Amino acid sequence: MKTYEVFLKKEGKDPFSHAGSVDAPDDELALTYAREAYGRRSEGDQMWVVPRSVIIIADETELKMADRKHKHNDGQLLAELRRAAPRGES
Amino acid sequence: MVPTEEARELVLAFADDELCVGQNHSWWIAVGPFLEEDLAFTSIAQDELGHARALYSLLTDDVDHLAYGRTPSEYRSAHIAEFLCHDWSWALVRHVLHDIGEQIRWSAITDSSWKELAHTAQRALAEEHFHVQHGLSLMRRLLSNEDGRRRLEPVIVELAPYGREYFVDPGHGLVDEGVLTMSMADQEQEWVKQVSGLLDEFDIPVDLNVEMPAFGRSGVRSKDFDLLHDEMTAVIRIDPKAQW
Repeated sequence: MKTYEVFLKKEGKDPFSHAGSVDAPDDELALTYAREAYGRRSEGDQMWVVPRSVIIIADETELKMADRKHKHNDGQLLAELRRAAPRGES
Repeated sequence: MVPTEEARELVLAFADDELCVGQNHSWWIAVGPFLEEDLAFTSIAQDELGHARALYSLLTDDVDHLAYGRTPSEYRSAHIAEFLCHDWSWALVRHVLHDIGEQIRWSAITDSSWKELAHTAQRALAEEHFHVQHGLSLMRRLLSNEDGRRRLEPVIVELAPYGREYFVDPGHGLVDEGVLTMSMADQEQEWVKQVSGLLDEFDIPVDLNVEMPAFGRSGVRSKDFDLLHDEMTAVIRIDPKAQW
């Protein structure tokens, strides 16, 4: 048996999202099982079924390290500086 | 159109087959061979019960009574549909034989002169494609494997000849009336062709021309029917007014 990841896309602008996974002996049955497990109530109008083995997986530690303050470019820091500064000087 | 007695017999037999197979498939809820197959198989069970309901509703307003309220001799199911198949290999083989037949039977009524019947068939045929694909994929996969073949082959040999009972003709006028666009005999030939084709792929010799002692269409029930009927009427016996 191989493990497959299943992605569904609803009608409209929403992107594909992960629905879950299935185990199946081959691609054809994977599609059948994915449809029954995740799409039997028309939860999506498009489906991707991807063998887990072809997915390139990123390193989790590296991903956690990526979260640094200056990467959050949401203007919050600048707003705080402005509030702290005396009126007229910023 | 007002359907003839023959046309009603055709639909009743088809509905009874679907009811029995749907009920039988549902024995596998939660005990299928693996989770994915469990889900797929019991989803097919639901579809078959849905087909039974749709067909009964062409004959009556009281579907529950027709489905559950008759005496055994009033049912018209084929014996292969009634068999309990309490072993996965039997359940799988029956599923494949049944659904190959079912696809042909729906195809023969999608352009029926009985408009409501044609409409029901068009909807069902779309689902049927997936049932057949599921059954054939799994069967081919298992027959390609030594252990799978060892388990399935004797079951196929024993069960396959029973499949022809699906095509017992309730009356020769059905094609002339336009109820069927393909005669029962032609449907049977098509079923034999498709099943033989599958078995030839794996060199499994089965004589589909053996006459089986199955007379379900005449009201004779198989040995498994009583237990099946007990199970399917368990709720309605407790509460005849139960809403589903």
